[in-house]
Amino acid sequence: MPQLSINGQSYFTDSPPDSPLLWVIREDLRLTGTKFGCGGGYCGSCTVHINGQPVRSCQVKLGDVDSNTVITTIEGLDPSDAHPVQRAWIEHEVPQCGYCQSGQIMQAAALLAANPNPTTAEIVQHMNGNLCRCATYSRMVTAIHRAAQLAREA
Amino acid sequence: MGDMKTPRQGMTRRDFLVRSTVVAGSGFLSIGLPGLIAAKDAQAAGTPAFTPSIWFTMTPDGKTTMHIVKAEMGQHIGTGLAQVIADELEVKWADVRLDTPLESVANFAVYGLAYTVNSGSITTEFDRIARAGAAGRIALIEAGAKVLGADAGDCIAKESRVIVKSTGKSVTYGEILQKVTIDRKFAYPNDFKGIALKSRDQYSLIGKSVASLDIPAKTNGKAKYGIDVFLPNMAYGALVIPRTRYSSKVVSIDDSEAKKIPGFIKAVKIEEALGKCTGWVVAVADKYPTAMKAAKALKVKYDAGPYAALDTPTLLAQYKDLAKNEKESAAWVLEGDVDKGLSEAEKTLEMEYTTDMICHATMEPLNCTVQMTNGEWHVHIGTQSTSFARMTLTGYLATVLKKKPEDLKVFVHQYLVGGGFGGKQDYDDILAAAWCVKEVGRPVKLIHTRESNFATSFARTPTYHKLKAGIRDGKLVAMNQDIVCGWMGARFGVGKKYGSDWLQLDSVDGRNQDIDQWSIGGSDHWYEVKNHRVRAWNHETTTWAVQASALRTVSNSYNIFVVESFMDEVAHAAGRDPLEFRLAMLNGKGGNRGIPNSGYAPGTPSDYYMDRLWISLPWASENSWPNYESATVGGALRLANCLRVAAGKAGWGTRRLPPNTGLGIAVTAAEERQSPTWVAGIAEVTVDPATGSYSINKLTIAMDPGIVVNPKNVDAQIRGSALWGASQIMSERLTLKNGGFEQSNYHQYQPIRLAQVPEIDVTIIASDHHPSGVGEPASTIVAPAVANAIFNAVGARVRHMPISPDAVLEAMKKAKA
Ligand code: FES
Ligand code: FES
Repeated sequence: MPQLSINGQSYFTDSPPDSPLLWVIREDLRLTGTKFGCGGGYCGSCTVHINGQPVRSCQVKLGDVDSNTVITTIEGLDPSDAHPVQRAWIEHEVPQCGYCQSGQIMQAAALLAANPNPTTAEIVQHMNGNLCRCATYSRMVTAIHRAAQLAREA
Repeated sequence: MGDMKTPRQGMTRRDFLVRSTVVAGSGFLSIGLPGLIAAKDAQAAGTPAFTPSIWFTMTPDGKTTMHIVKAEMGQHIGTGLAQVIADELEVKWADVRLDTPLESVANFAVYGLAYTVNSGSITTEFDRIARAGAAGRIALIEAGAKVLGADAGDCIAKESRVIVKSTGKSVTYGEILQKVTIDRKFAYPNDFKGIALKSRDQYSLIGKSVASLDIPAKTNGKAKYGIDVFLPNMAYGALVIPRTRYSSKVVSIDDSEAKKIPGFIKAVKIEEALGKCTGWVVAVADKYPTAMKAAKALKVKYDAGPYAALDTPTLLAQYKDLAKNEKESAAWVLEGDVDKGLSEAEKTLEMEYTTDMICHATMEPLNCTVQMTNGEWHVHIGTQSTSFARMTLTGYLATVLKKKPEDLKVFVHQYLVGGGFGGKQDYDDILAAAWCVKEVGRPVKLIHTRESNFATSFARTPTYHKLKAGIRDGKLVAMNQDIVCGWMGARFGVGKKYGSDWLQLDSVDGRNQDIDQWSIGGSDHWYEVKNHRVRAWNHETTTWAVQASALRTVSNSYNIFVVESFMDEVAHAAGRDPLEFRLAMLNGKGGNRGIPNSGYAPGTPSDYYMDRLWISLPWASENSWPNYESATVGGALRLANCLRVAAGKAGWGTRRLPPNTGLGIAVTAAEERQSPTWVAGIAEVTVDPATGSYSINKLTIAMDPGIVVNPKNVDAQIRGSALWGASQIMSERLTLKNGGFEQSNYHQYQPIRLAQVPEIDVTIIASDHHPSGVGEPASTIVAPAVANAIFNAVGARVRHMPISPDAVLEAMKKAKA
């Protein structure tokens, strides 16, 4: 039975190796914060971190990862749900329906990990693959700048 | 007032009862309807969690739970409604909680129609819930005065406390509930009218950007949407994409390949009924990836049905032909004598406009989970109407199982909605899942793939418009708009022809024709035009073939594009500035001054909107709620004010613009004439004359929605809806080919992305008037403002939505020729 390491915990799944990681995470392991939007790599709702990189989990097969792969989902981004991006998201009330937001937050957190002080142009480039049908875009940009500031203050 | 011993006989259904019941030694204060509470008293005795109230329940620990039947789909409506109640109730905001009642036959009789649509939640609930909150406060003050040995007239309520003004002594709401039993009646209608609502300067929560209660869970993965439901022993369903959008029939299913997939359970041909789920086959499996794989492996043969060859160009050609047949039309607006006005004009203008289909494409695809247990059907879903979900499933099961509706027990559990926009008020999925449950004997979670979600979209109809204007002395003296499109109401039984007069209007030309205002609204604009006529034709094939439906702002979404583009054309033809031209006609004269109150006026649309739909059961069956101010008060003058603000802030007529750059104007009073939200917008657009591609640099928007309950949320709604509008003019396009939609995923159907987002300058003009909806109107003005800006930038008039770079290039060529 394949073993996975997600958010520092071990999980087992009986899904076949060609299953998209997204569905294993959501439906087998019930970490439902990671969302299904398109299944084709177009929307970013399913974004998780794999070895620190933002990855569309709908495009990764279960067989492509193993217990040495470090997988982080929205549930494990911060032990008390207080990652600077999450705090900034609440402060600026970014989410509307909220469905895309786990993916947005994971994508934004990966940006700040690599680039602690991004310009607006860098933010736009990095976030452009994440769709938000409620179009919460402008607050996201503001909140990412704010998160960068919160991280610096910490 | 204040008689706590009033016997319960003689109460009407609309009396308020404010009572506390003793439950396990502690009192609950609830506010609700008499019949309900009386019937449930017995139950209450042993059930501490019992909450008999319709609007809220207060417990002795001081916590107050607001019962919200409106769907939470991005507008933070629970917070907004709770702010209104809490303000009048004078309860501490930190003590406020929200919950959502289960949808059932019994709860429907209490809460009425649970339906979130038309940006109507605040508009229609505001007065009622404010009175409910105030009634609670009055009862608590009276009871608190007793506890304190004071005169109620000497007491006020503040922050969950009753305070004696003269002595400063006070008691908390929680302590009051522990000490006395409240049994206070507010009789309808006199006691209701006697409830003095706060004036605006007394508000403590209304008008404040309190943090929305649904937001934290949406940042950490804890928020629960319909798709996040798990039930024991649950199987998964994935839909095989039907041959056409509608009306295919399954001829045969070959499951030989699917059977080789481990975990595949069954190919279920969904029993069709009520015109739903036509040609649907669902692959059921133990896991969702397996179900998706099996759905692809199933070989289904179809009889492709009557729409098998239909495509968008054919529809538009048919519309144009249909518009030639005046006899088939129904008039919706008829003022003055349009033909005479046109014949007396010095100059006439005649233009054709068309619009393509778009679809909701919510980020959460349609899904639901259905369980049958102990003879009860339980539906778990995030939906705009749990009531319609229940009713539709009940009707379906009654038909396919040959049972009496009253013998069926159907319950709908509401979850967060991952985007609605009008796209989550159809229930084929529930029926299909229920049929799968029957076939496999397990709970089933049916999830659309993005591809099957697009293939079964409920589309905004394509439209064709012919407009004529008569200009005299530089003024618009006559205007005719002819509209041909699918009428979405037909699918919901709107219209005599479809066997129901529910929400149906008659044409105003005396010919007693059906009018579906949801397909025409927006053409009834607020400009003073002495001779004005709008005629509409129903292209019924469209209604069924594309399953025409409501999308954010419904018909305003195309009509405002057409009307406001055309207004600019008329202004230019009359040699006038589009701003000055509009302001002159937004003079608030005659019918454009608005009506004073919301009162019931038989035969008018307010009859339909206020009484039949929004003020739903149990209020609907009786005549009317006490009148409150209509959102139309002030009329077109409020729209003119917004226009002045937006134009001023955008620097209309005062700025030197970069090359190939233009400003464009548009205004709207969406959603309905009875519930207008006044909005004006200016778009600044730069066009690349070599390619025709364009970018929106900036949107300047001014909105007057009356009283603003939560400014930060209103701001979010304006921005989101403005970008929805930008998206539909720039890139969204759904097309029909061979009876099916051509676009399968977000690489072909493209909502706006971050890189396309312009700067947005929002001004909220919070006026003292009755609040109106904010979630939709701003989405209508962006498309015409952009079209008008493109014209002002490079002289290209594009009369089709969306506007492609090719269309801009072509229009530029035409303009030069
Ligand atoms: S669900 Fe993976 S990118 Fe859309
Ligand atoms: S918040 Fe609704 S899709 Fe992004």
